Amino acid sequence: MNNRKQERRFVWLCLAPAILLFTIFMVFPTLNVFRMSLLKWGGLSANQEFVGFNNFLILFKDMNFIRSCQNTILIIVLVAIITLIFAVVFAAILTREKVKGENFFRIIFYIPNVLSVVVISSIFSAIYDPSNGLLNSIIGLFKPENWEGIKFLGDQSIVIYAIIGTMIWQAIGYYMVMYMASMSSIPEHLYESASLDGANKIQQFFKITLPLIWGNIRTTLTFYIISSINLSFLFVKVMTGGGPDGASEVFLSYLYRQAYDNATYGYGMAIGAIVFIFSFALSAIVNHITLRDDMEF
Amino acid sequence: MKKFMKLACVSAVMLTALAGCGSSDKKADTDEKVLKIAGLNGGFGTGGWEAVAKKFEEMEGVKVELEFEKNISDVLRPRIQAGEDIPDIIYLAIGGEGGLTDTMVKEKQIQPIDDILDMTIPGTETKVSDNIIPGFTDALNLRPYDDGKLYLAPLNYSPCGLFYNAGLFKEKGWEVPTTWDEMFALGDKAKAEGISLFTYPTTGYFDAFFSALLNETAGPDAYEKMMHYDEKTWESAEAKQAFELVGKLADYIEPNTVAQANGTDFSKNQQAILDNKALFIPNGTWLPGEMEKAPRAEGFEWGMMALPKVSADGDAYSTTFTEQMYIPEGATNVDLAKKFMAYCYSDEAATLFYTKGKSAVMPTIHASDNIKDDDINKVFYSIYDNGAKANAVGFAALENQVEGVDLTTGEGILYGTVNSVMTKDKTVDQWYDEFITALKKVVEANK
Repeated sequence: MNNRKQERRFVWLCLAPAILLFTIFMVFPTLNVFRMSLLKWGGLSANQEFVGFNNFLILFKDMNFIRSCQNTILIIVLVAIITLIFAVVFAAILTREKVKGENFFRIIFYIPNVLSVVVISSIFSAIYDPSNGLLNSIIGLFKPENWEGIKFLGDQSIVIYAIIGTMIWQAIGYYMVMYMASMSSIPEHLYESASLDGANKIQQFFKITLPLIWGNIRTTLTFYIISSINLSFLFVKVMTGGGPDGASEVFLSYLYRQAYDNATYGYGMAIGAIVFIFSFALSAIVNHITLRDDMEF
Repeated sequence: MKKFMKLACVSAVMLTALAGCGSSDKKADTDEKVLKIAGLNGGFGTGGWEAVAKKFEEMEGVKVELEFEKNISDVLRPRIQAGEDIPDIIYLAIGGEGGLTDTMVKEKQIQPIDDILDMTIPGTETKVSDNIIPGFTDALNLRPYDDGKLYLAPLNYSPCGLFYNAGLFKEKGWEVPTTWDEMFALGDKAKAEGISLFTYPTTGYFDAFFSALLNETAGPDAYEKMMHYDEKTWESAEAKQAFELVGKLADYIEPNTVAQANGTDFSKNQQAILDNKALFIPNGTWLPGEMEKAPRAEGFEWGMMALPKVSADGDAYSTTFTEQMYIPEGATNVDLAKKFMAYCYSDEAATLFYTKGKSAVMPTIHASDNIKDDDINKVFYSIYDNGAKANAVGFAALENQVEGVDLTTGEGILYGTVNSVMTKDKTVDQWYDEFITALKKVVEANK
């Protein structure tokens, strides 16, 4: 008995530094965001006024915030679905098939992850350039001489898709490597026996590969949600600044604009609180609805 | 004993982990006073500041610490929030990226500096106010609170206007337009040659452009009222005329402008002038320096004009853009900071700012003497001698900032919506109505 007590004390002592640091640098700031979301405050002075849930009431009527919500959700959904499909298919091809220059492709796909977001944004700003960008030059081959070019970052109905395209390009390699790791651990004999039974490649993919990496896919779905929210801010900030006229504003860029440019820090923190709850809730929902019985080999 | 050893080990690990959190930078006590200046490493460079600080150190026997960063807003904000290590002087213009100075004004975190005007400039016998060009310290954005006190000090003034390729005008035999009618007529002429009339770097540049335009359509008295959020004046036909003139420019806009009107690509819009794709761009005197190394059309020559007049007998306006420096609340060496600021307005400092910095012109009486005849800036700084009237830029500070209503920043409702007007996603009426609705909210919150 005495021994167990001692052991427990030892465990707690070992955990203490981590718990302490976690509390100071994670729990406390998070709680502080929620506290500040109840204030009317410019961010710098001691002049803080408690306004209850007023910031949230204004928030739900703020059309610019609602537009930033729509944009963020569109980004999460499209980036997750398209990246998932491409990454799984590429991973399956690279692990299951004998492709010439396999390693070369792995490196090529992974390169975007080595580059910083600012570099990627600059590359895509150049690709989307309305007069001599890569995309417009290619499309221009099929158009008459005086064709003006698509304004990828200037047209309010296109700009968000331009950002989504950039984010997908950036994400595929990273997730592909993750899927490849779990695919390569699937034992070869499962595929052998399947092919003896007459299953073709596509059947093998859906009956063996996909179910056996399902756990991995579920984990990455949470990653998609979190990284889309975070990265979309960086891409938007560099590529469009939220423009034109707020058309590409996302959660965090709108938070930044309100907290800093508009000097309504408390209001910005209310957006932060919503983003926090939103990402947690969405991850929980996604995790729940994708729950399947674990398959093991 | 064993237990004790375990405990000792664990505590040692903990202590090592936590040691990183402690701070150990205690300063050695010295008698020497240290003046801390933090500022933006921007278009005017830091050479001027270094030279002026060095002179001031020699004169006063103090130490001046300079901290100049491109992202000074991000560097200072957490320090000001925590109330620690606050510089004695901050040099960062209103409206800059990150909005630190704007927030400082809105949050009343700046100390009044009226007494500087009555100080004698160190090393001379001149009073500061006698050496500053009259009117400069009266600007609304320097006295934002209607208590009559000066809070921010002006520096680096620059006339803003429409920049163009004077070489192209010579080549085509076109006259520089003096009224908006002539402007649009020129637009039609240029369109026939495949040149657009107008472009802009980002909507942030409309603060200077639109202020000058409001002065032309409604006059300086009405402008003053509008900058104090006076609803009635904003609702007048004269104010709306300014919105309509901008709306009319949508027919003449360089087609790629909006797609490039962001922090990354704005220089491509400026390049349109160098490439003869567009005729005019609203900008400030830093533009030629910014585009110094860019390729340009043959025979290119910078030209600059005030905004065209609304009618032949009206006035032409050119906004005077100034940067600001100020003493934040929490500064430790206030008196020394004021002395340094006073010294900045000496002729000696003005020369250093212009020659060692990148052509920064102090608003002092003799500062423009530093601009020699063969200097491109000569053309720009003589704009007021050629009949244009000067106007300041900036709204009065608000007591209550309204959540979710960003009225006056570069991406706010008044200027940011210009992007939508140019792409015809919104009509001028929609823009105007949105602005008036938002203005009413702001007025309501500040009653």
